[in-house]
Amino acid sequence: MNGEAWLFIFAVLAAAALIFTSVFFIVSYSDLETDYINPIDLCNRLNAFVIPEHGLHAFLCLLFLLGFQWTCIVINAPLLAFNVNKIITNNWAHDATEIFRTLGGHKKESFIKLAFYLMCFFYYLYRMIVALIKDDV
Amino acid sequence: MSQQNDLPPGWIAQWDPTHQRHLFIETTSGHQQWEHPLETAGGPLDATVAPAPAPSGHGKRRAYAVGQTHAYDGAGEVAPYPDAAGYGAPVQPGMGGAPAPLFTPGLANDQFAAQQQAAQGQGYYGGSEQYPAQQPAYGQQQPMQYPPVNQLADQFGHMGLGGQKPFALHTANLVATPPNPLELLMPPPEIRLPPGASITDSPAANADPSYMRSTINVVPTTYQLLNKSKLPFSLVLTPHRTLKSAVNSSVDDPPVPVVTDTVIARCRRCRSYINPYVTFIDGGQRWKCCLCSMSNEVPQMFDWDQARNQPGDRWSRPELTSGAVEFVAPTEYMVRPPQPLVYVFLIDVSHAAVQSGMVATATRTILESLDRIPNDDNRTRISLIAFDTALYFFSLTPGSTETSMLVVSDIDDVFLPKPNDQLVLNLTESRAAVETLLGRLQEMFQDTQIIGSALGPALQAGFQLASTTGGKLITLSASLPTLGVGALKNREDPKILGTPKESALLQAGSPFYKTFAIECSRAQVSVDMFLFAATYTDVASLSCLPHYTSGQTFFYPGFNAARSEDAIKFAHEFGIVLGSQIGLEAVIRVRASRGIHMSAFHGNFFVRSTDLLALPAVPPDQNYVIEISLEETLTTPFVVFQTAVLHTTCFGERRIRVITLALPTTSNISELYASVDQIAVATFLANKAVERTQANKLEDARDMVQKYVTDILGAYKSNMTGGGGAAAAGLAIPTNMQMFPLLALGLLKHVALRQSSQIAPDLRAYAHSLLTTLPSQTLIPYLHPSFYSLHDMPPECGTIGDAGVILPPLLPLTSERLVKHGLFVIEDGQTIFLWVGRDSVPQLIMDVFNLPNYEALRGGKYTLPILDNPFSQRVNAIIGKIREMRRGPYYPALFIVKEDGEPPMRLWALSALIQDRGDQTPSYQQWLGQLKDKLNGSSYN
Repeated sequence: MNGEAWLFIFAVLAAAALIFTSVFFIVSYSDLETDYINPIDLCNRLNAFVIPEHGLHAFLCLLFLLGFQWTCIVINAPLLAFNVNKIITNNWAHDATEIFRTLGGHKKESFIKLAFYLMCFFYYLYRMIVALIKDDV
Repeated sequence: MSQQNDLPPGWIAQWDPTHQRHLFIETTSGHQQWEHPLETAGGPLDATVAPAPAPSGHGKRRAYAVGQTHAYDGAGEVAPYPDAAGYGAPVQPGMGGAPAPLFTPGLANDQFAAQQQAAQGQGYYGGSEQYPAQQPAYGQQQPMQYPPVNQLADQFGHMGLGGQKPFALHTANLVATPPNPLELLMPPPEIRLPPGASITDSPAANADPSYMRSTINVVPTTYQLLNKSKLPFSLVLTPHRTLKSAVNSSVDDPPVPVVTDTVIARCRRCRSYINPYVTFIDGGQRWKCCLCSMSNEVPQMFDWDQARNQPGDRWSRPELTSGAVEFVAPTEYMVRPPQPLVYVFLIDVSHAAVQSGMVATATRTILESLDRIPNDDNRTRISLIAFDTALYFFSLTPGSTETSMLVVSDIDDVFLPKPNDQLVLNLTESRAAVETLLGRLQEMFQDTQIIGSALGPALQAGFQLASTTGGKLITLSASLPTLGVGALKNREDPKILGTPKESALLQAGSPFYKTFAIECSRAQVSVDMFLFAATYTDVASLSCLPHYTSGQTFFYPGFNAARSEDAIKFAHEFGIVLGSQIGLEAVIRVRASRGIHMSAFHGNFFVRSTDLLALPAVPPDQNYVIEISLEETLTTPFVVFQTAVLHTTCFGERRIRVITLALPTTSNISELYASVDQIAVATFLANKAVERTQANKLEDARDMVQKYVTDILGAYKSNMTGGGGAAAAGLAIPTNMQMFPLLALGLLKHVALRQSSQIAPDLRAYAHSLLTTLPSQTLIPYLHPSFYSLHDMPPECGTIGDAGVILPPLLPLTSERLVKHGLFVIEDGQTIFLWVGRDSVPQLIMDVFNLPNYEALRGGKYTLPILDNPFSQRVNAIIGKIREMRRGPYYPALFIVKEDGEPPMRLWALSALIQDRGDQTPSYQQWLGQLKDKLNGSSYN
């Protein structure tokens, strides 16, 4: 197996993890809406996941860069820029005092991310299979 | 019984022993009512107290406009003081001028004058608090509240109007009608519920508007209709407003009735409380919820008078007769037993604080207020922490005057030097020690040279003291926090003021103030901030704590206790805050009929779940605004809103205050416009603008205000006037919203939002905190100041009338009214400007200020002497009245403004005259012109 295959195997796993976090975020938001969780606990819970999620995504991008996977980099660049911007402006944390006001925005963000990660997941899967087949030949 | 004899034919009076009043019954129809039939309808008094019929209302407005125009073109040149011959005749219609066209004939002039005084004297809606019992006092402005509709229809029939349309909408042309400040004193449009909506027909079935009012007093049945009208829909709440007693009005504010027998009937499904709008079914065995139509059982003890141990009268229960009621809650409503009240004072004792005299004034005020701190059950506890770069705790011994000071200089990891119970002491038991300590505090630190403030660590220490019981941290800080957690940087940069970057200065500078606020809210700790600053103290960050813990922020820029005005203002406000009867551990929930949803919340609290507001403490006279969205089509003839405030009183009783408001529904857009409460709309807009500022930028907030006004005007134009014709020449608006554009302009020109590079961020941030907390009664003058002329006021002004001190007539806010020889008052509830004209006669200066002439007078903060002449006493009485007539602890400072005095002072005072052109802001006429151009040029055509 060559490096590319390994890279995409990892990418598939990472995308799966990212999908999982997005789903987790969405479920948490609806929990808040239906009063299963209070905003303080929600923010504490979600804030613990924001940095790992962004970190994992950034690490994946770094691997693509090292593996010269330009298509993948182009696909991921906008989200990477968005995440980096949030970290730089110190705007990434969920604020319990504002959460009900910003909930709509947060939900939208999570849904878009979920869709994006899903697409990526299948694309990585396809690339992984292609790489593995190429390996075999 | 005279009641019997005065009755019109077909009526009988029956004495009702439970209510101690007569019940009037119409024998033919069986209709019953509490009001005397002659007072409500028909009969000889008809002409004087009948609901203002449409044509007369219209005539009135027109007549007013005439009066105003006269005033504008100077038809009555005012005579200089002290020649009082020509005072203000044209200025205020009805006062001395020609009142005849302004109201229905038949009302004696003096009676009308009394009404006017009542209307003015009671400030905002002082008058409405007494209605409908005192119907004649508002006979003109407030049509009858509870006349049965058939009678109303009858009356309309007599007047040839037909009885079909309950709301008469009148359109005014803004361009041609000068704004009339008196309209701000009018009660909101009447709520006309369908007959029989309230089961007891009690006049108080709907809560007084000062407790809860809606931006529209008729609810549209569909979301589309609301959207089409562009009107905002929200509730404005002040559940714990103070009762202003006889000081201000001739009639005492009725206290909220209390249900003491702990029989609390609630709907099983929606958890709403029983109220005057439910219906009894099954012979009174069950009741049907008016919010969700659920049928519920009536509790067994509901008809039992526990006090006298005998069957009671269900219909006299306060929850069925009153829209505002308080239940004493049983233990199911408690998470823990009611906790004692705990006050922890955090006093800054750094060099700046001691030098400004803050420490001395504060300790003296606390000392003087010890008796007024709520302590009915002798459980109140008190503690004191002083801080500069270190923390100073005081350990007191109950029963003795011994105190020992414990210094903690490790501010990175705050710990308590002694167990909690030795630092927080029962006020009654350790009274002597507390007094000694307060007396000595100033002495202990008077020579301090320490600069710097560890406010964050002090807050953490205070939190540790109060966290087990909950309580109040009263923080007095005189400098920017520089040490430990919560340290703030001086962010003020004159270069970025007036630019988009300015908005960042209005947001919290350190996340500590938000995270700590959440911790406090969880532990039921509320934080009050008293900020004294010679320089920048970052009010924007510090006011976050009161914001999310339901406290209050007070800001005293440039405080110096050596100036007695500063000391008095602070001592007065601080004293009132200490003495106020606060509620503790409160939650607020607003419920409404099906299809209505609470979508956003504004005010000082923490939103704990989608519709639950958490308030560790409930100070009196705090305002909350709740935005409402319609999610389903409403099918009922009326809908009900119910606010429940579950709280612990400061004497340790768990109570639920329930405020109920029922509003009729409509599918008619003109009714919607006719029922707009402009005061509530302005209150909503102020809150919304501040939210927008904090989330986005100042420009966005200004654009939003502008958009609301243009949208409403545009929608009104296209919906109601057909978009063209005669209306195109002017700006059409419903008469009940005539003041709204001016209020919005006042908001745009307010120090909180104005485009300027001169406004310190601290002042802006403080204005934001006021805009979101002031109750409407205090907020409206803050947006639209009151303007009085003193030199030519009518002779009765400043003397005691039926409703307290009589105020001079209100003037429109334009400098055209300023005359060179005049003496004027401009006040916005936070500051009072006494404007002295350049050519004031020496006699006037002598009488008011005891100074030889105008030149000897100096501008700035001032205490008005009380001199031995009637004019001085009248002026003092008016100032005194202005200071106490509104709700809230604020004590406006008095400034003397000389016409040719220092420019900043003059400009500050003139900026209150919001109809004038400002530096970068348009005049009222220009603004209307802009609005008109926008409407005519845009898609609204």
